[in-house]
Amino acid sequence: MSVDDAIRFLPELILILAATLIMVCDPLTSTHRKSTLAVLAFVALLAALAATAYSSTDPGKAFFGMIVVDGFATFFRAIVIVVGLLTVLSSNRFLEREGANSGEFYALLLFSISGQSMMAASNELIILFIGLEISSIASYVMAGFLRDDSRANESALKYFLLGSFASAFLLYGIALVYGVTGATNLSDIGSRMQPDSLLGGVAAALMFVGFGFKISGAPFQMWAPDVYQGAPTPVTAFLSAGPKAAAFAVFVRVFTVAFGNIGDRWEPLIWISALLSMTIGNFAALGQTNVKRMLAYSSIAHAGYVLVAITARSESGVAAVMFYLGAYALMNVGAFTVVGHISRKGERYLRVEDLSGLGVRQPLTAAMFSIFLLSFIGVPLTAGFFGKFYIFKAALQSDLIWLTVLGLLNSAVAAYYYLRVLVVMYMQEPGEAVNEVEPLSPALRLSLICSAAGTLILGIFPSGALHFAVKSAVLK
Amino acid sequence: MDQHLLSIILFTPLAGLAVLLFIPGSSKNVIRIWANVVAFAGFLVSLPLATRFDKGASGFQFVERAEWIPSLGVQYLIGVDGISMLLIMLTTVFGFIAALSSWNAVEERVKEYYAMFMLLQTGMIGVFLALDFFLFYVFWELVLVPMYFIIGVWGGPRKLYAAIKFFLYTLAGSVLMLLGILALYFQYHAQFGAYTFEIANLMKVVLEPGMERWVFWAFFVGFAIKVPMFPFHTWLPDAHVEAPTAGSVILAAVLLKMGTYGFLRFSLPLLPRASNDVEIVRILAILSIVGIIYGALVCLMQKDWKKLIAYSSVSHLGFCTLGIFALNPNGIAGSVLQQINHGISTGMLFLVIGVMYERRHTREISEYGGIAHVMPKYAIVFAIAMLSSAGLPLLNGFVGEFTILQGAFEANRVWAAFAVSGVILGAAYLLWLYQRVMLGQVTNGKNLRLPDLSAREMAVFLPLIAWALWIGVYPKPYFDILEKPVQQLVERVKPGYYQGQAALKAGVR
Amino acid sequence: METFSFYAFAVLVLGGAILTITRRSAVHSAISLIVSLVGVAGLYLLQQAEFLFAVQIVLYIGGIMVLFLFVIMLVNLDEAAKERQFNGQWLIALICATVVGLQVAWFMTKGAGALKLAQVPVAAAQTGAPVSPGNVEAIADVLFSEYLLPFEVASVLLLVAVVGSVVMAKKRI
Repeated sequence: MSVDDAIRFLPELILILAATLIMVCDPLTSTHRKSTLAVLAFVALLAALAATAYSSTDPGKAFFGMIVVDGFATFFRAIVIVVGLLTVLSSNRFLEREGANSGEFYALLLFSISGQSMMAASNELIILFIGLEISSIASYVMAGFLRDDSRANESALKYFLLGSFASAFLLYGIALVYGVTGATNLSDIGSRMQPDSLLGGVAAALMFVGFGFKISGAPFQMWAPDVYQGAPTPVTAFLSAGPKAAAFAVFVRVFTVAFGNIGDRWEPLIWISALLSMTIGNFAALGQTNVKRMLAYSSIAHAGYVLVAITARSESGVAAVMFYLGAYALMNVGAFTVVGHISRKGERYLRVEDLSGLGVRQPLTAAMFSIFLLSFIGVPLTAGFFGKFYIFKAALQSDLIWLTVLGLLNSAVAAYYYLRVLVVMYMQEPGEAVNEVEPLSPALRLSLICSAAGTLILGIFPSGALHFAVKSAVLK
Repeated sequence: MDQHLLSIILFTPLAGLAVLLFIPGSSKNVIRIWANVVAFAGFLVSLPLATRFDKGASGFQFVERAEWIPSLGVQYLIGVDGISMLLIMLTTVFGFIAALSSWNAVEERVKEYYAMFMLLQTGMIGVFLALDFFLFYVFWELVLVPMYFIIGVWGGPRKLYAAIKFFLYTLAGSVLMLLGILALYFQYHAQFGAYTFEIANLMKVVLEPGMERWVFWAFFVGFAIKVPMFPFHTWLPDAHVEAPTAGSVILAAVLLKMGTYGFLRFSLPLLPRASNDVEIVRILAILSIVGIIYGALVCLMQKDWKKLIAYSSVSHLGFCTLGIFALNPNGIAGSVLQQINHGISTGMLFLVIGVMYERRHTREISEYGGIAHVMPKYAIVFAIAMLSSAGLPLLNGFVGEFTILQGAFEANRVWAAFAVSGVILGAAYLLWLYQRVMLGQVTNGKNLRLPDLSAREMAVFLPLIAWALWIGVYPKPYFDILEKPVQQLVERVKPGYYQGQAALKAGVR
Repeated sequence: METFSFYAFAVLVLGGAILTITRRSAVHSAISLIVSLVGVAGLYLLQQAEFLFAVQIVLYIGGIMVLFLFVIMLVNLDEAAKERQFNGQWLIALICATVVGLQVAWFMTKGAGALKLAQVPVAAAQTGAPVSPGNVEAIADVLFSEYLLPFEVASVLLLVAVVGSVVMAKKRI
């Protein structure tokens, strides 16, 4: 292990060490001073972000090609770490409110992010799988962190069972890949995979099942609404952004680098999955009354849009995936943070109607939420618009005309349920839930302002991020 | 100043909005004064546009260009020709009038209300200024958001339904339009090896006929919903009726013009062969005529005063689209002028309704009668607005409708014959409306003590009346301004049209 | 000798498996499963995979089976034996068996070429050691050089799992 290796692995190292440190410090801090641990986690994440930036100055492979630091890895590492930062900001107040503020939460959060960061940089199936499992196991526990809440328990159990199921499929796929090519390194697999390999196709399909679960793409989306609804809201925000982005990152990397040769085999699969995800997500969301559940279905639909970009099988498709997931992470964490803020102790207020009159009582919160919702719809000058635009542009470039038409129509349908939230917030009288809502705590305010500002900046000046994405979309 | 004139016009409302955010929401009168100041400033900065506009020059003027997203070939590219110059003047004038007219009408959430109007103003001006298709699309979509809130928050009883319908209809249309835009964009790349959304460049693209027709229909859906053309008009009555007065005024006066402007700026020049396709032109002309007659007939049935005017918009906009697809100078110039006219007269009519609604809070026609005795000034204003909308000679509506009919006659006599019936029906429903509301004896006791127009209300109407008279009596400057751009359009869609006409004239002699 | 051993282990594997699913008593089933797993371990040994052989014995027979037996002892066996068993899904089992059977038959007729396996450099991992002393050493070699990172990171995975299970099981957080 050389110094270069260590530097390329530095973000993960920092996160793992900090997580361990938090667990050591946890018994030493008194119950009402657990927020210091949150500060510690926050600082560690900032350091990891800095390490990510630093390691990106000297790109290359490390640990015998196990991990690779390139633009793609850096982009996704940054996404998951930023999601972690926003989650720490929004969860501290939440956990205090629910009486569950403890070091373990932050330790698990950091472990989970270290796993995702590993996935983002992995160039090899074994490290990919281990990263995925670290991320997943930590998330299962986080989903059930409020153990007195029966819905949270149900959510955690469901997430655990179906997640393990998905991991098994993934592992089966990995085993077949090794059987076919005798390699676990993605670049080696890519060069050894025969274009007409039958078993290779089966392996790709099995791995797609595994990834499909993790990204909650149809037809493997069944767990998402229940899990997202039951989990504590800051955890939901985290689950729908961080692990999803990391899963997409490995999905894209594996399927372009390792399975690039057999692209026409898996393209139809993903085409169908993209269409199903968009349609099921949007149409199911139309009928939801619970905000979290609605956002869960919307996240299925958004996974569908990203799958459209993957179906394009081109560099501009990869760039679109990157940009979209960056935008999506910001707006989704922001939206769930607002929901967590409104829901109050015990998460009692989660219906769409409970938001009524928010625009009168808390104009700032409502304005932020509106920005996120408009970005979900894809209104220009928000990040969501450019995200969708790049995706459909990439799809058209690859002649996926029908998928594009259906996707665009889907995004028009989706506007309906997002608008309903806007309607309730601004056009109805304040209700019980909103009348007594407490003011935004400074941490929450910071978290929301950062997400909203990011959403707008990516929407008005997308050039920088887009340029970086295009530059990094060349996967080898 | 000249080289940044358009940016100044575009961002004045936005700058006003930035200041507005720092005014506390409780000081309502400060907000109102500020909003009026900003709106008036918006009008003032647009005046140099009219005075310095060179009507002899062809092409775009006051062009500004800056890179926005270089990797996609998206530019901040704005400029005006005669058509967009007139529409921008319309927008800035009505921006001011809408702000002035809402002084008493809005009591709740005043700050948000004016903020939305300022945002809307920037969006609309941007639509008319953009010479980059992407930029255009951005502004086009951006207009939806403030209008949605204006209808949904400050609207009438069925505001939620109307607001969502408005948003979804327009959004559905525009995503298909986006598809058409992207098709052109990729074709340009295929033929010239570069990515651009600049209209002047996209005009060089030669599409194969089948594809051109597809793209035309994709654009058509987006624009036709906005106009709205029959049968895409069903969102309009709902949105108009439920919107607050100023919202209806802006919606009628400016927002609908975005659709017709889209046809003129994009469909015709970018897809000249599809726009000149016999089948397509026939379909569009028929839809326009159906819109004219259907809108007018529905007006005759209305019990709700505001709904009547809303349907009259369908009828009048039918004239505008008919003029466009007559594809000759008279038709197109008439259509643009009629767009301005419709803005003035229908805008006035909605203001007239707003004045009465503030006093009586009902729009049922049967509630009124004999108002002329109670409010004489109001009666005069209403009469002028009504007659200008009905197309009485010496008022603006006549000039526009007459020119369009001339163009339609030149293109196809049957069209003109059907369209004329729309003029007659228009006169019928408007005069009947006036008769029921204003004339006769006061039958409803509540109408006996209505105050006549206040000075502020007169200030709202007077500039519009003056403008209506100006166009009605002396429309020549307008036709001069429109001559060059219309000539370019016709030459683009029907190459050799002017030589043909000249030859025809020579032959007659 | 090798053929004889192969068939002997195969009988152990299949016989154990059949007994596992046919015995009514859970303890008998578990013990039959052990027999079957021992047979698999023997097969590994025949393939000269000493490491897998050891792992099979230690992990499956030593670890996982003990866990099984613990669970079985915690369950009330008399009650469980009386209840209706969940092994009445003949149809599904038949379909699965047929599919697997067809697959096996297809591969047997087509031979290894049908799989289109890539040309794997078999000795790639052992280039450092010309005279391979054995399977275990070779694995150790690879594990502590090329696969060092996954090996180390796996400990983080275990740590997370331990922390997670403690968090879920603790009475008060």
